Amino acid sequence: MASQESTSKESNQQIGTTTDGSQFLTFQLGEELYGVDILRVQEIKGYTAVTRIPNTPSHIKGVLNLRGTIVPIVELRTKFGMPTIEYTMFTVIVVVVVKEKIMGLVVDAVSDVLDIDKKDIQPAPQFGAQVDVSFLNGIGKAGDKLVALLDMDRLLTDGDLQETEKIAA
Amino acid sequence: MSTDLSHFKNAFFEESQEHLTTIEEGLLQLEQRPGDIDLLNRIFRGAHSIKGNSGMFGFTAVSQFTHKMESVLDQLRSSQMVVTVEITDLLLQSLDCLKTLIDCAKTGESPDEAQIARLGAQLEACQGGTPAATPSTPAATPRHAQLQGAHHFTITWVPPRYLFQRGLDPVQFIKELGDLGSVTSVILDTSRLPALTDLDPEQCYLGWTIEVDTVKDLKVIEAVFDFVREDSTLTIVDTPPPVEESHSTSDGTKPLGEILVETGVVSQSQLNQALSQQKRVGEILVEQKIATPEQISEALKKQTESSAPSKKAETPSIRVDTVKIDRLINLVGELVITQSMLSDLGSRFEMSQLPVLLERVAQLERNTREIQERVMGIRMVPIGNAFSRFPRLVRDLSGKAGKKIHLILSGEETELDKTVIESIGDPLTHLVRNSADHGLEPPDERVAAGKPEQGTIRLNAFHEGGNICITVEDDGRGLNRDKILAKGIKQGLIAETDKLSDEQIWMLIFKPGFSTAEKVTDVSGRGVGMDVVKRNIEGLGGTVSIKTSAGKGTTFTLKLPLTLAIIEGMTVRVGKDTYIVPLLSILESIQPRREMIKTLVGKGELVNVRGTYLPLMRLYDVFRLEPELSDPTKAILLILETEGERVAVMVDEILGQQQVVIKSMEQNFRKIEGVAGATILGDGTVGFILDVRGLLTIARQGKAKAA
Repeated sequence: MASQESTSKESNQQIGTTTDGSQFLTFQLGEELYGVDILRVQEIKGYTAVTRIPNTPSHIKGVLNLRGTIVPIVELRTKFGMPTIEYTMFTVIVVVVVKEKIMGLVVDAVSDVLDIDKKDIQPAPQFGAQVDVSFLNGIGKAGDKLVALLDMDRLLTDGDLQETEKIAA
Repeated sequence: MSTDLSHFKNAFFEESQEHLTTIEEGLLQLEQRPGDIDLLNRIFRGAHSIKGNSGMFGFTAVSQFTHKMESVLDQLRSSQMVVTVEITDLLLQSLDCLKTLIDCAKTGESPDEAQIARLGAQLEACQGGTPAATPSTPAATPRHAQLQGAHHFTITWVPPRYLFQRGLDPVQFIKELGDLGSVTSVILDTSRLPALTDLDPEQCYLGWTIEVDTVKDLKVIEAVFDFVREDSTLTIVDTPPPVEESHSTSDGTKPLGEILVETGVVSQSQLNQALSQQKRVGEILVEQKIATPEQISEALKKQTESSAPSKKAETPSIRVDTVKIDRLINLVGELVITQSMLSDLGSRFEMSQLPVLLERVAQLERNTREIQERVMGIRMVPIGNAFSRFPRLVRDLSGKAGKKIHLILSGEETELDKTVIESIGDPLTHLVRNSADHGLEPPDERVAAGKPEQGTIRLNAFHEGGNICITVEDDGRGLNRDKILAKGIKQGLIAETDKLSDEQIWMLIFKPGFSTAEKVTDVSGRGVGMDVVKRNIEGLGGTVSIKTSAGKGTTFTLKLPLTLAIIEGMTVRVGKDTYIVPLLSILESIQPRREMIKTLVGKGELVNVRGTYLPLMRLYDVFRLEPELSDPTKAILLILETEGERVAVMVDEILGQQQVVIKSMEQNFRKIEGVAGATILGDGTVGFILDVRGLLTIARQGKAKAA
């Protein structure tokens, strides 16, 4: 974390490219804070058991009945290669809309809706092969907090549709 | 914007289809009841709507052609022409042409210009050909009659600024005025145009002064501007036309009266006297006691209505009976009441109230189940829509085959899923054609057999259990057992030594390439069709059966599931997961004994089911699940069949049988190999419906990988 912060401060030249929204829903994975463009969020619901989908990668947790619609649920921790933890009463599903498809993200807890100015958003730093940050749109500063802003399109289309199709092939 | 427009276009095509059906039905009925003004009005309205809408979307070929049809219809309506077989034939042919035109507009193909031109010319030629109602007053040609009460309107129109944003084109308004009469001048008013820098291209700054000669009255002209009336500055002034204009028609030909005066047959005063005696069609009809004054005024009202552009919103894809919606609303009301009773109970709950709670929950369950049924019912449409094409078909067929055929439709109100209805049209057409061509005998043969000259085809639809049955019945000669047998042997479909039951013999006619018709006709007999019928019906999960008796007739019965969105399924369990197997694909379920299981090359497992070895597929292997049981002799094997292939699928337990509503996986995710779809189970969780075909594919791929 500390190294990430210092690295990002050094490369303070560009501004986040594809994010126009300035309000972000932030949530926690472990100690880290992540943000999603608030306009992408449809709803937040408590975690309920899902139905596993056969022959899908482990970060696809399963599907859920969301008022009659079948919605796939992605375990963000697994997706990011973080260790899984026991679900608590704070574990929630953030339901987002990506390219007209509805998906759910399992996160440790939701924290806040933050206003982040465009000037406070800087591009995601590069770490080389060991840390994959391609799904980040940039990192934002809100007070002394650092928020990793997720690029939903890349995160959920690249990661789910294409990757799994490769596995199936 | 472009997507919006295409959406409206789709609505236009859909609506046009409805209008075409209305016109066709109307024309067919018109033969029986030629004087029915209501019917004519209905046909006219249909044609008018197509004309108006197609013009709005710029399908000029369609609107021009419809205009010609409309003119003929208009003359029929105003009794200037009488309905004859020739005119009906011409109109029906034109209608077919119009259908093709609309299809072409849809697909972007170019239509058959020659046919359009030919029919267009015929339509124009038959106009004014047979003045029907007023033969006693030769001086009054229809055109002349129309010009009585002609108007000359001066219209000053400044449309609202948002005109373009509404998708409206001012040119269309002027064109529409042109349809109502002749536009003599159009003057553009550019005074409101701002400087170029201030100009917003999406705003309309223009105004027009339009002069129109027409026989229509003020209301009709005003109706043209109905869509924009509120925000427009619109003045319409009726300036009576100069006298000499009333005697020359718009296309320059002189009225009969004028020619008569010129050639000295009658004097001007005699002509004027004759003209003054001339009455409106309505008055004549009332005088001759053909129609009552009420009927006439009703018809006139409709005429005004029909010539005004339809204000109706674009039609949605499914039309739902308002009664259905009302019931649904009532049910939702009940649901809300039950819910509030429950939350009231919950807020101050004591154990003593448990029976009340249970009762309320049961009530909630009843409500929800009924709502579910009703909502599913919205997809159900009456089968009459699919039947409506047959009167025309039978009319054409009887003409071609030289047979007299009476068609009886019943059970049109029987409801069926929209998707099913759309897919049964073609199979039914084949069956009806078949009955008309093969089933019914020519009139002389019928008379010789002591039957009425006119053959009967009866189409019926009714519910039976969870299915719908559609029967196509004729009172013709029946299937000829020996002929079918001989043909079957000749075509090598069966061996001469085969002992076949009657049912098996009848089923031969569904074999590809089978036909007993001695000569191939335009209608049928080429041996294609019946096999397609069977395939289509089976594709919908239905069956076809035949009942026939020699000399008395044949009945085809189609049995179809009510809907495609619900299937009958068997719920099974593997470990903690629940899956649904379509009941249709399950042959049986067995618990095998040890000696029934054999292996091939140490891995591939086979199970011996009464002498046949079937591949054994462990569902947990295919789907990578954790099973409770891995010993086939303790678990359950489901013997599944798909497209003639059989497989034994191993699951832990069979939970039960239930109807499930199919939900799409692709909507928010993607297709999963081996899964046909998802559904929501009793406890609110999601269950997957197995795709037996896909399972077999996975199993094969798995084997290929292992090799």
